[in-house]
Amino acid sequence: MTARFRARYGASPLHLLAHLAALALAAFALIQIAERPAAVRIALWLGASVVLHDLVLLPFYSVLDRAGRRAAGRGVNYVRVPALVAALLGLVYFPVISGQGAPVFRNVSGVRYEGYLARWLLVSAALFAISGALYLLRGRSST
Amino acid sequence: MTPPGPFRPGFWRSPLRGPWLTAALGTVLLALVTVVALTGFLSHAAYQPDLRGNAIVDPAADLPLVFDWPTGPSWLYALTQGLHVNVGLVAIPFLLAKLWSVIPRLFAWPPVSSPAQAIERLAITLLVSSAVFEFVTGVMNIQYWYAFGFNFVVAHYYGAIVFVASLAVHVAIKMPVAVRAYRERGVLRPLRAGLAGTRPEPSDPHGGLAPVAPAEPTLSRRGLFATVGAGSAALLVANVGETIGGPLRRLSPLAPRRQVIGSGPNDFQVNKTAAAARVTREMTGPGYELVLRGGPRELRLSREALLALPQHAARLPIACVEGWTTSQDWAGVRLADLARRAGVPRPASAFVRSLQPAGVLSKASLNGDQVSDPDAMLALRVNGADLSPDHGYPARIIVPALPGVHNTKWVASIDFARA
Repeated sequence: MTARFRARYGASPLHLLAHLAALALAAFALIQIAERPAAVRIALWLGASVVLHDLVLLPFYSVLDRAGRRAAGRGVNYVRVPALVAALLGLVYFPVISGQGAPVFRNVSGVRYEGYLARWLLVSAALFAISGALYLLRGRSST
Repeated sequence: MTPPGPFRPGFWRSPLRGPWLTAALGTVLLALVTVVALTGFLSHAAYQPDLRGNAIVDPAADLPLVFDWPTGPSWLYALTQGLHVNVGLVAIPFLLAKLWSVIPRLFAWPPVSSPAQAIERLAITLLVSSAVFEFVTGVMNIQYWYAFGFNFVVAHYYGAIVFVASLAVHVAIKMPVAVRAYRERGVLRPLRAGLAGTRPEPSDPHGGLAPVAPAEPTLSRRGLFATVGAGSAALLVANVGETIGGPLRRLSPLAPRRQVIGSGPNDFQVNKTAAAARVTREMTGPGYELVLRGGPRELRLSREALLALPQHAARLPIACVEGWTTSQDWAGVRLADLARRAGVPRPASAFVRSLQPAGVLSKASLNGDQVSDPDAMLALRVNGADLSPDHGYPARIIVPALPGVHNTKWVASIDFARA
């Protein structure tokens, strides 16, 4: 009985039961969203999340990394690591760095948010400078 | 026939990809998102959506996971919500690395070979989309970029349910694969190899994670973990000052709430200004009276009458859902004293209404323990001075461990409900 199920389904009955339980709970949540006026927009953002990550962000940084490897040779990690950290900070803190939330923030908090772009650039400069210093100290001997 | 490009098995060449790397990244990520998810659902409970006026997610369409949120320790919500936001930031590089490690699977060919695989791919799609969705909306929300055009709380909450459901089944299904990888390669052994000793994991045509044609390594596995960890550390340091508060606030260069406003008694972070809440001087002027209901008859107290009552003082934090905290010395009338005066000595709950004419946070209910806590008060003064208009003059609620926005400002009335 189980063997026949396995042959037809491709996994054990437990696999199916676990998925049905999880999908039913997920469906409950998605249906609550579907009944809201902004349902289409939420669905769009959910769909865009996976597409933008898998088909835009990941290929983009992979191509960039490949180009960096070609250009920098064996010293690549001295560029790669600070560039990655700076890019992560830039991506995650994009709203404050670019001032996207500034009008709302000023309205609710009564103060301005300022200088984020400058501080991000300074932090990035420090990251590259530290990496450059490390390269001078120990990287050159091994390349 | 396999289509060209990323669908070809030889396309993905990183020598680091393989079941062990995915298991190791997945284990760290699982620990982090468990903290984030738990503290997230705790925050939902801390808002006490079961009490009058508190629910943002419709209670009829909610999971029955609500309990009475405690009042101690006073920094409880600062801790849980600080963890939610900051551990969430720490998890981002691990999420990206984990997704990078499994990207060849997206292009597996044939895309579906059995019903089991079809249903698994559906669950994975939900997992990845809800994970990215949760992080993107959370990160935007703490920076006040409300570009999504939907209610953040509702979408982030239901998104979390989709995420937890699809994550739970994913962990259950993949646990044996991870255990096998740890057994074959050792839990930490692959981290000991330097660049010279870094070898690809044996390629497995069914798993599809390890490359069939690996390139020369340019980074060790240890180096990969160090790099991802450095990204996490940077994201944490950039923000965590606003959670700790005090002088450390300035040390986080990119924290949205890093401003030190001044040195006066009312110079600390404001969640919502009086102007933004449309609270005017006429509303808070000499004609102001606090209304207490629930007893035999309505009681009205001017600010002078409130100041004439026994005053209590305590140092308590305001901890915002966005992950920032500020602790101040508050003074005012104990809520328990007000309840007694109103004729409801041990209320089951209290419904607080603000002078703020509209908005989700123009009202909030407190549970019975929150009203009777000895440090819970209707604050009239802060740091030795009268409250400023932006901090809730003439009177505001301050309750230990309460989510920041439920400390209602510009209090107009309190309805005590009998037990």
